[in-house]
Amino acid sequence: MAKDAEKSTWKDTIWNPSTREFCGRTASSWGLILLFYLVFYIFLAGMFCLTMYVMLQTLDDHKPTWQDRLSTPGMMIRPRGDTMEINTHNTESWDMYIKTLDNFLSSYNNSLQAEKNDKCPPDQYFIQADSGDVKNNPKRSCQFNRSLLQECSGLDDHTYGYQAGKPCIIIKLNRVIGMLPGKDGKAPFVTCGAKRYKVGKDEWKEDSDKIGEVAYYPENGAFNLMYYPYYGKKAQVNYSQPLVAIKFLNITLNEDINIECRIISNNIPPGSERDKFAGKVSFKLRINTKQ
Amino acid sequence: MGYGRSDSYRVATSQDKDGKSSPSKKNKKGKDMDELKKEVPITEHKMSIEECCRKFNTDIVQGLTNAKAAEFLIRDGPNCLTPPPTTPEWIKFCRQLFGGFSILLWTGAILCFLAYAIQAATEDEPAGDNLYLGIVLSVVVVVTGCFSYFQEAKSSKIMESFKNMVPQQALVIREGEKMTINAEEVVAGDLVEVKGGDRIPADLRVVSAHGCKVDNSSLTGESEPQSRSPDCTHDNPLETRNVAFFSTNCVEGTARGIVVCTGDRTVMGRIATLTSGLESGKTPIAKEIEHFIHLITGVAVFLGITFFILAVCLGYTWLEAVIFLIGIIVANVPEGLLATVTVCLTLTAKRMAKKNCLVKNLEAVETLGSTSTICSDKTGTLTQNRMTVAHMWFDNQIHEADTTEDQSGASFDKTSASWAALARVAALCNRAVFKAGQDQLPILKRDTAGDASESALLKCIELSCGSVKQIREKNKKVAEIPFNSTNKYQLSVHETEDPNDNRYLLVMKGAPERILDRCTTIIIQGKEQPMDEEMKESFQNAYMELGGLGERVLGFCHLLMPEDQYPKGFAFDCDDVNFTTESLCFVGLMSMIDPPRAAVPDAVGKCRSAGIKVIMVTGDHPITAKAIAKGVGIISEGNETVEDIASHHTGSRSANSLCSLMFPLLSLSDAKACVIHGTDLKELSQDQMDDILRNHTEIVFARTSPQQKLIIVEGCQRLGAIVAVTGDGVNDSPALKKADIGVAMGISGSDVSKQAADMILLDDNFASIVTGVEEGRLIFDNLKKSIAYTLTSNIPEITPFLLFIIVNIPLPLGTITILCIDLGTDMVPAISLAYEAAESDIMKRQPRNPTRDKLVNERLISIAYGQIGMIQALGGFFSYFVILAENGFLPSILVGIRLNWDDRACNDLEDSYGQQWTYEQRKIVEFTCHTAFFVSIVVVQWADVIVCKTRRNSVFQQGMKNKILIFGLFEETALAAFLSYTPGMDVALRMFPLKPSWWFCAVPYSVLIFVYDEIRKLLIRRNPGGKWLSLSLYNI
Repeated sequence: MAKDAEKSTWKDTIWNPSTREFCGRTASSWGLILLFYLVFYIFLAGMFCLTMYVMLQTLDDHKPTWQDRLSTPGMMIRPRGDTMEINTHNTESWDMYIKTLDNFLSSYNNSLQAEKNDKCPPDQYFIQADSGDVKNNPKRSCQFNRSLLQECSGLDDHTYGYQAGKPCIIIKLNRVIGMLPGKDGKAPFVTCGAKRYKVGKDEWKEDSDKIGEVAYYPENGAFNLMYYPYYGKKAQVNYSQPLVAIKFLNITLNEDINIECRIISNNIPPGSERDKFAGKVSFKLRINTKQ
Repeated sequence: MGYGRSDSYRVATSQDKDGKSSPSKKNKKGKDMDELKKEVPITEHKMSIEECCRKFNTDIVQGLTNAKAAEFLIRDGPNCLTPPPTTPEWIKFCRQLFGGFSILLWTGAILCFLAYAIQAATEDEPAGDNLYLGIVLSVVVVVTGCFSYFQEAKSSKIMESFKNMVPQQALVIREGEKMTINAEEVVAGDLVEVKGGDRIPADLRVVSAHGCKVDNSSLTGESEPQSRSPDCTHDNPLETRNVAFFSTNCVEGTARGIVVCTGDRTVMGRIATLTSGLESGKTPIAKEIEHFIHLITGVAVFLGITFFILAVCLGYTWLEAVIFLIGIIVANVPEGLLATVTVCLTLTAKRMAKKNCLVKNLEAVETLGSTSTICSDKTGTLTQNRMTVAHMWFDNQIHEADTTEDQSGASFDKTSASWAALARVAALCNRAVFKAGQDQLPILKRDTAGDASESALLKCIELSCGSVKQIREKNKKVAEIPFNSTNKYQLSVHETEDPNDNRYLLVMKGAPERILDRCTTIIIQGKEQPMDEEMKESFQNAYMELGGLGERVLGFCHLLMPEDQYPKGFAFDCDDVNFTTESLCFVGLMSMIDPPRAAVPDAVGKCRSAGIKVIMVTGDHPITAKAIAKGVGIISEGNETVEDIASHHTGSRSANSLCSLMFPLLSLSDAKACVIHGTDLKELSQDQMDDILRNHTEIVFARTSPQQKLIIVEGCQRLGAIVAVTGDGVNDSPALKKADIGVAMGISGSDVSKQAADMILLDDNFASIVTGVEEGRLIFDNLKKSIAYTLTSNIPEITPFLLFIIVNIPLPLGTITILCIDLGTDMVPAISLAYEAAESDIMKRQPRNPTRDKLVNERLISIAYGQIGMIQALGGFFSYFVILAENGFLPSILVGIRLNWDDRACNDLEDSYGQQWTYEQRKIVEFTCHTAFFVSIVVVQWADVIVCKTRRNSVFQQGMKNKILIFGLFEETALAAFLSYTPGMDVALRMFPLKPSWWFCAVPYSVLIFVYDEIRKLLIRRNPGGKWLSLSLYNI
């Protein structure tokens, strides 16, 4: 008996036909609640938009407020990936890398650079200061011609040495607005070497003897100072990020080689240990020559 | 006057039982219980002594032989009560670990482990978040479980200390020799001797007695000691004079009896077994927490399923969607709430213990606050359990004596010579003396040796006339006839104070009508006058009036014996009375009662104004019960009982037959009060019982048996009341156990009653219950506030994850930071709300309706989640967007960025300015966002804790007097700063230092919460009961 009563009350709590109440409230009461919440949320949304608007007004269009997390710029390689395995006899194993590089370098074609960018005086910062409140925009950018990469430009050897087992890797330094990567006119440069890697507990190994000779393009693997500082994508629309290409001339074949490239500069602090891509980049390379 | 009302009881409970237990269990258990509820099977009182001896193979002089005794001991087992089955410690511990709220957290933990298992099976590098969360949840439950386990263990340790560890001794006669043995070794058939001060070792059939009186109050509730004699005076073993019961006390005299029952078979043992067989229901707070879990689970599952479907629609894989589902459900679990609730209850329990309410079970802390009916025992709880002179009649006038414990009451005219005479008679015709070595104690607190009424007289005289000892020394006693039931008087002869007066003074006291019969004169204003009819009538009136107050009336008379008949040195022979006991001079009447405790009327009044119905349930006589009920306000002044009205109508009926009038007059709706006699209760059907309980606000049950007390409690519970029972005797213990909260007396309470109770009044004072009610109501209110506060931060904790899934932004708030809020910064402010003072006089409102006034209801959820929580979430998101924007990621590019953002291989992610970020660099920004979101929640929780302080009042009305809360505000802020700025936190908890400006991002939202809630409360105060406002605005 008690159970029946309970059942009916349970049903009534969902829909009570006598009072026409749904979940204990009439339709008009539900309507009022919905109206209240609608108004309330619209008001909240308005308030949120207002605070966001005020906040956005405080931002500079050309330079973010804080850059302290970018003190050590990151480095990246092209083609992407931390492991590259190619087979000199198997076109398919490196074909995609070539396509990537072709694609990546297309914007550095000499003709395109000449059309869009200026020739700048090398070995010095290309500073385009604003005069007070008057912005000196748009800012001009310096040419980085694909031909500067010489052997690795893909102009002469359209396989970038992959077919010959002497692959090219292109290295770039992440863009950071206003960064001046070297002082006293000394340009930062890239150097690649063997990476210490762990093979067991407290056992480290490096493959320095297996890397062989490495060629750097442009000369010394340097990022010329004229490409700095960067003024942001809004002010400096056609900015061409400088590149460094490395070519492994006689790397040990048929073996995994761990390579690490670092930026050497007198102005860039070494990145934290946690960040494996701040001021350095590492990858594994294996070139197979067997069928 | 039967003892076990088995029939009516079965009617009362059978339906109840059918619903609960399975048939097989019910049959077995039900049989046992019914057996216990049946009439007490003692029949020996109706047998002659010889029959009795034959039955037990014993001898009236020699007692049992040692061999027989040993044989019986093996057959029946030791003479002690089987202790109630104690729950093993590990079960108690598990109950703490898996009970109520913990289940929610365990479920959360298991879901976390499940999600981690899925991730571990499907991903290469599973995020550890779910694993950590699961571990933290488990740790929280275990730690809180241990905490409350130790809290309760502490209470039970105090309980243990109550147990009387001194083994009882008994004087038995075996093989003709008196020997003192351990009471446990007493067997049926033993011949036992008891004297004043002894505890009766077993149920005895008295075979001989000399002025023996026993105190049955713990068994029947009668406050007066009962005399024992070998004659059977009543069919009911509880009423007859020739049975003395196990564990009652012999107050005076000596008696010898044959043991008829031992151990659990005694009357006391049966009640104890009945008690431990009863199961008490869930506490109201446990029910509330269950309801809360249902609500929270409902919300969690609803959110989880909704976003599961959304996630699937958005193209996530099934496994990912399941992980999200679990994540959302777990995110709804308020991790810190279990600990908060436990700590709040513990704090209240401690506060109550300071005010003499010891709580055995933490959850019972709140129960008193929900109580709507208190069934109180009379003797010892409402009254002082000490006979005191209440009224005197002399000079043809009733004088009121001071009965208060601290002598603050009114005094009477002590100058009359009649009073001097009365005081002298009362002092001399009195065998009670103070026990030695109590001179420094107040008179009322001193222990006395002697009869309760005589002690009352002794104290009364000592208080008003000074040392009784000196009076007695001045008036040396020459002869004495002690009280006996045939004479119904006590007489003694003394020398006079005046050494020149050689007359003897005869003083006598006894039943007033008997005394009057012997008197021919009466003292008025110190002058002897002949006793005329007019005087006799006024005596009758006074006698009736005092009797009607439920008081025990004694008459006093004296006579200065003529010197010529009784010269100095006259040899008074008391056995063969050789002097006159007639033509005496009547001095006056004195009446005694066990008076109410001083604080009780006030406490009853407070209960009444708090909407709590106070019912008196006593084993004592209806007239006494009614008198005390009127005295303490249980029957309020001017309210007439059914019987009063009836006697007005019928005119001639005496008050004593009131009970038989009950039934035809139940329809008298103008009577709010009624006194119901146990015999009538037996006849009542369940419906009639309900009618009585429903229609009368002031009820007194008199002459009730333990089983009937149980029926009354069940009746109240059936009507939906939350019932508190107070009592000290064994007879109360079944009701104590059955009640929602049983309150036992710490000083006078029997062990059995303390075992059965949930709470113990350490000072035996009913007024402490009011404190308990107040604290209970306060903690219920404050728990609501704590929960509202804690729940609110759930929304800013869940929404980041939801947006992370739905619009693919970088995660705004991580698991670690959520835990830092729930188990870190939110804890102290939430607990500090338990210290919040009441908003209005909580003792002036009705007790909460357990079906309507929930701890957590939809409205609370609606405000916490739908309103305040949403504002908080916006505050958090605002700081999140500020940090990302100031670092270069404007809101416009955030939507959909998540895949690249969380891709470890992408180390040149471009921001809105064209800068490129490595994975680690942007993750630091993300964790800084987590920290800022966390700090923002702390900032908005400042406002939240202030608005949660009150439900109706403005903060400006309530003030900021809660120091703990202010401390909590500073503490949470300091903790947040500590977590953000301590070096190493970036590695340990992945929390990063914030720029000072980021602390202020959420401040506008904090202000908004405060302003919004003040407006909301203003509207509530302006429109009390406004319908649609109440929908979403009223009440948290």
